[in-house]
Amino acid sequence: MADLAGVNGQREQFRVVGQRNLPGKLSYALATGVAKFGIDYVLPDMLHAKFLRSPYANARVKSVDIAKAKDIPGVADIVTWEDEDIKALNNFGESNDSRRPWLDNIADQEGAEVAVIVVAESEDICEEALRLLDVEWEVLPHVVNLLEGRKEDAPVIRPQVRDAPMFGAPSAGGPTNPPKRGNVAYANMTSGDMDAGFAAADHIIEYDLYMPAFASLLPNPSGSVAWWFDDPYYSEGGKSLHIEGAVKDKNAISMMYRLPPEKTVQEGLFMGGKYCDWGRRKSQEITPLLAKRTGRPVRCVNTREEMFDVIMKQRYIHLKVGFTDDGLITAVDDFSIADGGAWGSSSFGNVGDMTLGPYNTLKCHNINQHMEIVDSNRYLMYISGQHCPFNWDSITVALHMIAEKLGKDPIDIARLNLHGPTSKDDPDPVPSFEACVKKGKDLMNWNWHPSGTKKLPDGRYHGMSFRYQMCPRHSFSSYSCKLEFRDGEVHMPTQGPLFGVYAVECNAMVVAEELGLEYDDVKIDFDYREPFTPLGGGSDGTTASAWAMKECANILKKQILEAAIEYAENPPMPGAVSPQPGPFKGLTADDLDIIGGRVVLKSDPSQGVPIREAAFTSELLAITDFDSQGVPVREAAQKNLFATFYGHPPLSLWATGEMGKRLDTMNTAYCEVAVDIEMGEVEILRFGVAADPGKVMRPISLESQIDQVMFFSQGCQLLEDFVFDERTGVKLNNNMIEYKKPCILDVPRVDREFLETRAGNAAYGANGISHSLANTHLVIIAIHNAIGVWVDPPATPDKILKALGKA
Amino acid sequence: MYSKELVRRQAADIAAAVPETLTQFRCSVCRGVFGSSAELQSHYAVEHPGAVPPAIIRLKLNGCLCEALIEPYWTLQRALQFRFGLTGAKHMCNRGACGSCTVIMDGRAVLACMTLAIECEGKEIQTVEGIAADTKWRPLVESYCRWDAMQCGYCTPGFLVSAKALLDKNPNPTEDECREALSGNICICGTYPRHATAILEAALKIAKGA
Repeated sequence: MADLAGVNGQREQFRVVGQRNLPGKLSYALATGVAKFGIDYVLPDMLHAKFLRSPYANARVKSVDIAKAKDIPGVADIVTWEDEDIKALNNFGESNDSRRPWLDNIADQEGAEVAVIVVAESEDICEEALRLLDVEWEVLPHVVNLLEGRKEDAPVIRPQVRDAPMFGAPSAGGPTNPPKRGNVAYANMTSGDMDAGFAAADHIIEYDLYMPAFASLLPNPSGSVAWWFDDPYYSEGGKSLHIEGAVKDKNAISMMYRLPPEKTVQEGLFMGGKYCDWGRRKSQEITPLLAKRTGRPVRCVNTREEMFDVIMKQRYIHLKVGFTDDGLITAVDDFSIADGGAWGSSSFGNVGDMTLGPYNTLKCHNINQHMEIVDSNRYLMYISGQHCPFNWDSITVALHMIAEKLGKDPIDIARLNLHGPTSKDDPDPVPSFEACVKKGKDLMNWNWHPSGTKKLPDGRYHGMSFRYQMCPRHSFSSYSCKLEFRDGEVHMPTQGPLFGVYAVECNAMVVAEELGLEYDDVKIDFDYREPFTPLGGGSDGTTASAWAMKECANILKKQILEAAIEYAENPPMPGAVSPQPGPFKGLTADDLDIIGGRVVLKSDPSQGVPIREAAFTSELLAITDFDSQGVPVREAAQKNLFATFYGHPPLSLWATGEMGKRLDTMNTAYCEVAVDIEMGEVEILRFGVAADPGKVMRPISLESQIDQVMFFSQGCQLLEDFVFDERTGVKLNNNMIEYKKPCILDVPRVDREFLETRAGNAAYGANGISHSLANTHLVIIAIHNAIGVWVDPPATPDKILKALGKA
Repeated sequence: MYSKELVRRQAADIAAAVPETLTQFRCSVCRGVFGSSAELQSHYAVEHPGAVPPAIIRLKLNGCLCEALIEPYWTLQRALQFRFGLTGAKHMCNRGACGSCTVIMDGRAVLACMTLAIECEGKEIQTVEGIAADTKWRPLVESYCRWDAMQCGYCTPGFLVSAKALLDKNPNPTEDECREALSGNICICGTYPRHATAILEAALKIAKGA
């Protein structure tokens, strides 16, 4: 799957790609507070908006009287779900259900926006007005406990029919799903012969796993500021819309308000930590309507408490695994109960995982996945995936349990069960996996021991764990690339806003690499009108867009070389102020190259001209100056060149539907812990990662992404879980004090080793690592290896002591 | 766009653009504009007797004396954003749990989301914009950028202010002292290992007068 299709995909010498410590193009603005995020915008005469939010987990607004609220001084507007302007709004979200009105009178989680929006001179007046609404609620039964919600006699909380494709059987070959019953929808997928698989087993183990809900916790609260203005560029057809805070969805906002894209402006370049959380909140969509109604700028921003959305839904899993005496898995029966979330939640975390899961990587054909998806009133999960979405932990735990049972190293069990590169029946080793394991073992001084058998000098118990994964990449997106050679400099016009994966930098590095320039020579022209934006999912945004930009750079390079030859063939008139053409007369572009910022002869790189002087025309500019004798000076004109490329690299295994069925780039992760069995405290001694992203584009941001997912893993295994009051359905820890994220003193060392097998299919064989390294059980397995008992995440001291029978 | 020199100038411009003297006194309920604080107070007494009128605070903000009309219940973070045009102190947790709004007040790092603006009367406050504008601290900004001590960058100004507050008191910190000083700052993107590296590199450069 290497980048064979692209220009220079097999490049061996790299000057720029792979360099460390090249500052991000936006880093100075970010570090200094100059960068403005959507909610930072404050406009003169700006109004504020707030939604009515439900105090109940499941409720219907029967009626609302706005009279008292409307009379409050400073209230500018109140709209309800019955207003025609609201009814005319459409859903264009990636996760929200388009069959439901944009705003209605139903609230299916505590804190949900419902029924009414207030616009006022200040947020405080908005809140006062909301308090004075006379709302008649019909409180409905709720489900925040999935195990209760799946019962036949549980109250049915939602009329929603889960018949959209994403909630159907993920495989045409799978069994027909039963119809939804009560709150439960079903997704089943079976392959092979389960009876034969278990009959072939020498051992059968069964176990339960629990995956807690995990908050993405976008650093910047979502919200927007919008206003309408007279547009000198696109004046026809009324005012244009300026919105900040719509983040990557400017065009979706255009569609929502039936505007041509060019009449929607978003100049801000900073969207914050939108790591695969692409769902727009209502606060990001409503401000254009409210600004139109009031004729003034309107700001609507969620509070932190209103921003506690999940990035991974709660799930209970029961696994039954059959295996032989040597550890070869013969059958896997996976039953799980997954949270369907509030209305409109993403299917990531339930059926979205089934076809992408780890079972595809096993030699074993006999796999049964049976999932109950339970509607709940817990939260709305926007499209997500930063936290490993592929049910990877179930099989990782299985490999450790098999190892434990047979007294073998789990890496050996993994290797035994992993199929070869080409298919499930391929017995060959996977080169990337083998290379990662070798590096990883060296990195960790890997010396596996059975559970509860190793004590550290300080008396704590030592535990270790291992996990493998694929390095996937979506490659669903095509990129519209454009490069300009303008006034002797290379420009890369780019549309913002951007988030923290340094994708634009990877593109700039590739352009510099291909054009024989330095990183700083590539000028990034940020402009909301430009079509190119390096977004397409984390690693896609770097590796796939960079592949497309590589093609574009080579088109531009050819243009520059041809222009240099044309200039040599047609030098300017005598007397003109102009650079000397290079010695390129009679040559073709194939005879030239760009090295060190100069257009040179391939046969003799010492002969050439600086790139900024390479492309002039014989045409002269008008008089540009007068010399000391008063003689007019005429300069030769710079030739401006434009290259475009539209497309994407060859499809990745994810995009071809072969994810896991074929294997290219892999990664392995490791964890070492020390457990104090008297206090129940767990210390992660270190994480280790040996990863093969195919090709390392920008090492420092790759390291940073790995750190990020390892700290995610730490948080959800030791600290984080959503807590609900089951009686009321109210969220109890939707703030950053009671829902604790790791801080700098909490996080352990992360040791990393990178391999470059060039086996991916994006730029230079890169694949990226997004979606691949986070997990919920790497630490949990290491704890089990230390103390010999299983603890559900988050493994807080009380749970450890309880598992040890000490509390 | 956003070269380090341009950004430094922008930060300096933003820091210097704070309102020096109030000339207009605007009613935050009905938008009426008055020529003096006394007129505004009278207006509230007559037109909005149930409402609490705005108050004036005077600060020395990034070295500039300035004043603004604020709601008495506003936090310093809100006042900085809505009245002084300084958006480097970020709104994240609004409960003193994340450090994204950190500023330096009278030499001490404080959380602007937990500080009432009205209590800052007469205080000397330094924000990230002021730090960025000061050439002495250029190595700190540059080290943060060289080491990618940021991903999405939303929390980064808070970290940088905490780092500066540390270096004010301890120009030669150890790695552990850096971690201790930044323990009140939360980064969801997990950039933690970069900060101490950046601070230690900057400390050396600052000591050499680079």
